[in-house]
Amino acid sequence: MIDLLTTHYNYVVSVLLFGIGLYVVMGSDNLVKKVIGMNIFQVGIFLFFVTIGYVDGGVPPVVGHGQTTFVSPLPHVLILTAIVVGVSLTAVALALIIRIYNGYGTLDESVIKEVQVDD
Amino acid sequence: MSDVQLPVIAILLTFVVCAALAAAFLRDILSAIIAFAGFSFGVSIVYILLRAPDVALTEAAVGAGVTTVLFLLTIVRTVRPGGDRLFERIKVVPALLATGLVAVLLTTMRSLPRVGDPNSPVATSEITRYYLENAYPQTEVENVVTAILAAYRGFDTLGEAAVVLAAGVAVLVVLRKEVYV
Repeated sequence: MIDLLTTHYNYVVSVLLFGIGLYVVMGSDNLVKKVIGMNIFQVGIFLFFVTIGYVDGGVPPVVGHGQTTFVSPLPHVLILTAIVVGVSLTAVALALIIRIYNGYGTLDESVIKEVQVDD
Repeated sequence: MSDVQLPVIAILLTFVVCAALAAAFLRDILSAIIAFAGFSFGVSIVYILLRAPDVALTEAAVGAGVTTVLFLLTIVRTVRPGGDRLFERIKVVPALLATGLVAVLLTTMRSLPRVGDPNSPVATSEITRYYLENAYPQTEVENVVTAILAAYRGFDTLGEAAVVLAAGVAVLVVLRKEVYV
């Protein structure tokens, strides 16, 4: 198991980020913290994708300067798109959270559920 | 990864995981947001070591920058729960589920090629080879990432722009004051 840390270190870290993100989304009562957890999970996926494109001794994929070994450019493109979509998602989630706060006066999930039951 | 870089990336990845844990368990929202910004910035430096400067720039500007500003604007307009405890209490059921997910995924780890393997499916893929060989002759853009983003996958980027527009409209609609409706 320890040898994985020297050969698959980035994959291990992205799996750990999946775990941390999932825990925050499920375990945190605060809605803003849940969005932070979602972002941590996303970054785990980004790290995974960028890592699968990496090649030992590769240079960034800028051609025409004499190098022959490049890292794969396709995962980078996919992740560039995903980062921008992720921030859009965060913006909409946070706007909904502001609206929820205006309606309920709290960001605590359990309190919001109690208020809904009382209504 | 070359031998010189291995200690550097080990320190960075440790920092990244610690910052993520801090963002997860700090009770104060402002502290969690600052920890998350540090986490994003650490990840963007990892991207530089993985030879992905475009992704690193975007992550530093958008992930560490814009996202942090959005979170800060949110807590300005809502509430920052106080309390005397520094860390949140660990909840058992979510912690067990998260640990289970990590354990299951770690067992699949050996089927992945090692980091930086030149014979990995992605590195030897026909698509990677095609883009690297043809991007410059076909588009005259030296940066292959830009060539794919703007030319080969231009419709993908158009869709991304549509998502950003939709998100902007959604935020405006959601936050519009009731008096104007």
